Amino acid sequence: MADEIRRLSDDLARDPSSLVFVPLADALRRAGQLDVALRVALRGLDRHPYVADAHDVLARIHADRGDLERAADEWEMALRLDPAHAQANLGLGFVDFRRGNLESAERRLSAVGPAEVTPGVTAALAHVRGALSARGMNGFSFEAPNGALPDAIDSRVGVASAPLAPRIATVARTTPVVREFPAPDPSRAKQLFVSALDGADQHALLVDGDGLVLAGAYVDSGGNDVADVIAAELAGVSGEAERAMRHLGLGTWTSLLVEADDAVVAMTPAPNASLLVVTASRQTPVGLVRLLLDRALTRARDWLARVS
Amino acid sequence: MNRTPYAELLAMLSRHRGVVGSFVVSERDGLAVDSNVQIGVHAEAVAALAASLHRKARLACGAAGCGAVTFLRLDAEKGGICAAGRDDLVLVTISEARANIGLLRVEMMRAAKALT
Repeated sequence: MADEIRRLSDDLARDPSSLVFVPLADALRRAGQLDVALRVALRGLDRHPYVADAHDVLARIHADRGDLERAADEWEMALRLDPAHAQANLGLGFVDFRRGNLESAERRLSAVGPAEVTPGVTAALAHVRGALSARGMNGFSFEAPNGALPDAIDSRVGVASAPLAPRIATVARTTPVVREFPAPDPSRAKQLFVSALDGADQHALLVDGDGLVLAGAYVDSGGNDVADVIAAELAGVSGEAERAMRHLGLGTWTSLLVEADDAVVAMTPAPNASLLVVTASRQTPVGLVRLLLDRALTRARDWLARVS
Repeated sequence: MNRTPYAELLAMLSRHRGVVGSFVVSERDGLAVDSNVQIGVHAEAVAALAASLHRKARLACGAAGCGAVTFLRLDAEKGGICAAGRDDLVLVTISEARANIGLLRVEMMRAAKALT
């Protein structure tokens, strides 16, 4: 394992723009170096935000850290980039299982192709189907406890060799039960858009209709957190944009793009009368800023659906 | 409305494909200084709203340390508004979805430099 990590690290050092960060992050994760693995994966995603495997490996790191919410976010992103991504589907199946969404878990696990069916997956699927069957007969309310997946998953498949099933069993035993509607966590809310953006010069804020920050962060070049000030200044933008479009009969407004001397700012209406704002440095192509806005909006919608 | 030094500029912008109106508006009070719009466009109301949007964007960019606003574009399902400002004056165009926004943007940013 140490040799593999050393070799992959050398490869990455030789070509920092390569995709070798994906197996390196995974090797670090399997070696238990989760913080290093997280840094490698996030740095790699800065360069390659549209690689499904990179989001998958980041999801696994989050899962091993016990953060199933972020893991689910990354697996969902991987599936958006590659709807046939089997590992992402498996990962979400596990998250569904942990949340007690047995039907969805069964659907995802049974959709795995033959090449991906390991003994661990088979065992997990049997367990989910057993729970579904028991629920059908007894009408009990399912709640996934710690260690709900059968021990057989771990003992039959080596952690280092199998891609996912043993790891999800490990997570199942070491993480607290994930509530289906988790309360908003302030620190997580500030980090909501980190993995949806492409670099340190980009920021995203979700602002409610009263000009209050819901999620995201904005730190100016002097290191000051100015998110609240920007949110307050933007209060009412949605209403005015809507009024202007109504006067003109041009339909619902979809985005507002502002080019300034040092930055590009893009906004779009978000659910619950909120406003999503993305900023990027002036060097960022305007078209890319619009793409970032779409990605952040997807993240915002998912998050609002969970916390609302 | 009396003819102003901006009449030729506005006529030039209004000749772009899909542009249904153009204005020069005061950002401070939202009043149109000059306009060239097709019949049926609510010029005064839109001018005031565009000026207000530009003002909010300018203040937000100032708060964020983004510098001065050079161009603003509001997109909707069937078209949108573009604005480019200089000092208190803002050049605004209203366009349908078929407009070439890239070309319009270049023309407006060039024209805005001449606003005084």
